[in-house]
Amino acid sequence: MKKILSLLSVTALVTTVLITAPSVANAAPACDGKSPIQSCVGVTSDGAPYAMQVPANFNGTVALYSHGYRYNVDIPAGIPLIGGYKVTNTPEPVPGGNAEVAKYLFSQGVAIMGSGFARQGWNADSAIKTNVELIDTFKKQFPTTKKVMAWGFSLGGIITQDLAEDYPEKFSAVAPLCMADNVAPELTMAGDFLWGVKVLFDPTIKAGNYSAGAAGVAESYADLVKVFTVMGKLQAAVATGAWPDTSSATGKSLAAAGVPSRSALLLLGLMAGLPTQSAHFDSISGPEGALKLTFPLAISPALGILENGTNAAALAILATQDVENQTGGAIFDNTKTDYSARVEGERVIFNAALSGNTVIDALLGALSPANPGAPRAVANPAAVAKLNALESNKGAIKVPTILMTGMADPITPAGASQRLVDLYAEQLAAEKAAARKAYQSSGLYVAPVNKLLMLWNTTPSSYTKFDAAGSPITSTPAAQGTNHCNFTTAQLLLVAKSMVQASNTGKLPSGGALYTAVRKAGNLSIDKGISAPWLKYYGDNR
Amino acid sequence: MKAMNRRKLITASAVLAVVGLAATALPAQAAEVGVTSTQIKLGMTVPMTGTASLGYNKIPGAAKAYFDYLNENGGIYGRKITLVVKDDRYVPTEAVSKTNELILKDKVMALLSPLGTANVKAVASSVNPARRGIPVMFVNTGFSGFADVKKYPTTYTVLPSYVMEAKIMGQYINENFAGKKIGLLYQDDDFGSDALAGFKTAGTKFAVTVPYASGSQAAATAAGWITKFKAAEVDVVILFGVTSASLYMLATAAQLKYAPQWMIGSVGGDATTLKLAGVPAGVLYNAIGFSPVPATTDMKDEYVKLFSDIYAKAVPGSAFDLNVLLGMNSAFMAAQALKAAGQNPTRKSLLAAIDSKGATFANSALVPLGYSKTSHVGLTGYWVGRFSPAGDLAPIGGTYVAYTTDSGAGAVVKTTYKRPAMPAKGLPN
Repeated sequence: MKKILSLLSVTALVTTVLITAPSVANAAPACDGKSPIQSCVGVTSDGAPYAMQVPANFNGTVALYSHGYRYNVDIPAGIPLIGGYKVTNTPEPVPGGNAEVAKYLFSQGVAIMGSGFARQGWNADSAIKTNVELIDTFKKQFPTTKKVMAWGFSLGGIITQDLAEDYPEKFSAVAPLCMADNVAPELTMAGDFLWGVKVLFDPTIKAGNYSAGAAGVAESYADLVKVFTVMGKLQAAVATGAWPDTSSATGKSLAAAGVPSRSALLLLGLMAGLPTQSAHFDSISGPEGALKLTFPLAISPALGILENGTNAAALAILATQDVENQTGGAIFDNTKTDYSARVEGERVIFNAALSGNTVIDALLGALSPANPGAPRAVANPAAVAKLNALESNKGAIKVPTILMTGMADPITPAGASQRLVDLYAEQLAAEKAAARKAYQSSGLYVAPVNKLLMLWNTTPSSYTKFDAAGSPITSTPAAQGTNHCNFTTAQLLLVAKSMVQASNTGKLPSGGALYTAVRKAGNLSIDKGISAPWLKYYGDNR
Repeated sequence: MKAMNRRKLITASAVLAVVGLAATALPAQAAEVGVTSTQIKLGMTVPMTGTASLGYNKIPGAAKAYFDYLNENGGIYGRKITLVVKDDRYVPTEAVSKTNELILKDKVMALLSPLGTANVKAVASSVNPARRGIPVMFVNTGFSGFADVKKYPTTYTVLPSYVMEAKIMGQYINENFAGKKIGLLYQDDDFGSDALAGFKTAGTKFAVTVPYASGSQAAATAAGWITKFKAAEVDVVILFGVTSASLYMLATAAQLKYAPQWMIGSVGGDATTLKLAGVPAGVLYNAIGFSPVPATTDMKDEYVKLFSDIYAKAVPGSAFDLNVLLGMNSAFMAAQALKAAGQNPTRKSLLAAIDSKGATFANSALVPLGYSKTSHVGLTGYWVGRFSPAGDLAPIGGTYVAYTTDSGAGAVVKTTYKRPAMPAKGLPN
C-alpha cells in the first residue's frame, strides 16, 4: 500500500525561529532585534503561538500565512501510513517554511508572519479571529505597517478567502491556494466516499456518527485501520476484480453477479467527486503489450481513485470525527442523495472501467435507498444546524485575489476554486452592468478592475510509467496537478510576486508579462476555458 | 480604475466604427484563433490505433484528401485548410488530453469529426468547447443527445442518430422478420442505450440481448456472445456496435459455422473494412445493412465517383470505403460552413453559418439534414440494403429507398428527399 501512497504533509517546516515566546497570552511579541531579519514570537489571546519575521528593509507590507489542516488528535504509531503523528501548533509564516519564498519576500521589503492557531482540525472560525488579532499585534509592534497580504494552503486557503470576504479593508491582496471548499461540501465529499466503502466493502466501518470524546477518537482510529485495510485488498485485487473478504452482503451479491470490485470502487469515487487522475495514474497510459489499451480504459481510473481515496480517507475520517465533536452529532446525511444523478455525466466517460451500463445500473441499484442492505446515513438535525453555522464564505471577491490549485487535487478538488471563478464572473458582470448604468446617468464610465487571477496547476498529457514487466511505477514523485497542494517553488514564487504586485499597484498581473511568468513557472495555465466541476454537494443543494 | 467621460467614449466608438467600415474593404485579416491570412486550422481526435481504430483510422486521411483537393482549387477565400489529427485510441480521457492539445497548443479554430460517444461526452464536460465558443463540427457519433442545442450549443451531429437507425431497423424487422426470434448485440453505454430506445419505440421484441462493455470486444468474448445467441435459438442477430465488435463476431461465427440472418448497424457495418480485416464475403452475403450515403461501390453516383477519385490520388492503394466517404463528406460540409462564415471567419460566424445555412449544405447523403437555430440534428435517416455475394452493401432491388424519422416517437416514413446536384467540381459554391 505504501507504494502508491503519498501522504498528506502535516508537519510544518518553518523557517527557524529560536526565541522564547512570552508566557502571557496577548502580550507584546518577543523580538530578537537581529538584522537583516528580525524574528518575533508570541501568543495571541486564545493561546495560539505565532511567528513574525521582518526584514531590515521593511516596506510596510506583511504577508500573513495560514497553514492547512492538521489533525487535532495524535495518531498512534500502530496505525498504518499516518501513525506517529503528534498534534502541533507550530507557527508557519510561509508555505511549508519555503526559504526561497521567504527570501523573495524579504528582498521586496515584505515581512512574513503566521500563527499555529489555538486548535487544530477544522478551525476556520477560531483561526480567523486569531489572524485578525495577529494583524493588530503586528501593526502595534511595527507601526509603519501599511498593507497586509494574506495567503494560505488548503484549509488555510479558505481561512484566507473568508478573511478577505469579511475584512476586505484589512488586505491589499490575497492568495487562497489549493483552497478547501466550505465545510459542508468538503465533508459531504468525504462522507459519500466513506459511506460507499462501508456499505460495499466493510460494514463494520462506522464512517461517521462517532461517539463523543475519547471513545469517538478510538472509533475513528479503528476506521482508519479498516479503511486502509480495505484499500490494500482492493489494490491487490485490481486486476482480478475480487472483493475483500470483509465485504457486506450487498457487496458479496455484486461479486457473485460478476461485478469487478475495481468498478465498484471507481463508482464510489465518481459519486463522491474524487478525481480519476492521481499522483501516478493518468487514466491514459498503458504498458506495452496486451494491456496497452485495456489498462487506461479499464484499470487506471480505479487505481486513480484508490490512490486519491486512500489519501483522502484519513482526512475524511478525522475531520468528520472532529467536526462531529464540534457540532454535537452526526453531520453526514445521504438520505436524499441521488447517486445516479451524481454520476450521470461520468458513467459514459468511464463506461469501460465501470464495466458497462448493466454493471453501473446494478451498482447504483445496490446503493439505492431501496436496498436495505445499504442503509443511508442519517444526520442529527441539531448538529447539521451547527455545521451550517460554522464559518463559510459566499465566494465574493473584494480584494485582488490569486487562486492556484491542482486540477487533480484529491483533498481540495479544483471545483472549490472553480466555484470562486464562476461566482466572480457573475460578480464582475454585475459590476460592469452597474458601471454602464452609472454612465448613462452621470456620463462618467468607471470600468471595473479585474480582481481575480486563476492559476490552474495542470496535469501533464500523460505520466504513468511502467517497469519492464509492465507494472505501474509508483515510487516516482507525484505528477504536477495531482496530490494535495503539490506546488513547485517556482509556482509559489509566481504567486508571491503576483501578490506583491497587486498589493503595490492595486492591479493583478496581466497581458504578455503574465503569460511569460506563467510559462516560466511551469505546469500552470491561465486559460479561461478551463472548467473544473464544482463539488458534488452543490449539485444536490444549489 | 479607468475613467472615461462620455465625450471620449463617443469619440472612441466613432473611431472604432470607421475602422470597422474600413476593415470590410480590406483583404482577409486574421482575427480569430486558428485563422491566419493564409490558413484555417482545424483539429480532429480519432482512434488511429487500438481496438476500436479499425476502419475509423481512415477518416483523417479522407478528410485531408478532400482538404488538399480544396486547397489546390483555391481553398476558402484564398486560405488553405490545415487539419491537425491526434490519436485518442478511443480512450475518453485521452480524447480530453488530445483535444486540450489541439485547442491550447495547436490553437485550432474548430474541431472536426471527433469520434465516439464517450469521447465526445468526455470532451464536452472536461474541455468544454461550448464555454470556449469552439465549434465542434459533425461529430462521428450517432448519440442523439448531442443534438441538444442547450446542452451542447457548439456541437453539430452529422450521422443519423442511433435511435433513428434502431427505429428504421425495427420497422424493417416488423415488415420482414415478423415471428422470427431476434437477438441484439450492443455496446453497453450511451451508444447502446440509444439503440435500445429506438427499438423500444419500434416495438421490437428480443429473445436475447447481449451487451458488451466498450473495449472488451475480442475473439474470445465473441465466442461467448455466440453461445448466448445459440442458446436463445435466435433467427436474426443484430450487430449494433463498433466495427471491431462486428469483426470479432462475424469472424468467430465463420469459424464456428454459426450463420443466422445478420443485420449490421452502420457504425460497424462497413463491408470493405470487415473484409480487409478477414471476414469472408460469404459470411456477409445476404446480411441486411444500413447507410445514409450511397453505396461505396456505386460509381454512378457523382459524389462517390469524385470522392473516390480524389482519395485514390491522395492515398494510393487504400480502399475507398464507408469511413472514407463519410470522412470526405464531413470535410466537404466543413468547407461549406467555413465559406458561409464569411471572408474573415470567426468561431461565432462559423456557428451562425451552420445554424442558418447548414440544412442546405450540399453532401452525398440520400436523406436531408436537420440543422437550424434550434436543432443540431444532422442527417435524418437511412436506406436499407443487402450485402451482395461479393460482400458489398447494395440497395435492395437495385434502387435506393431511404427512410427518415426522428429521435423521438415520430413515425418512420419513406423520404421524398431529392438530393440536389453536386456543386461544380465538388467545391463549395
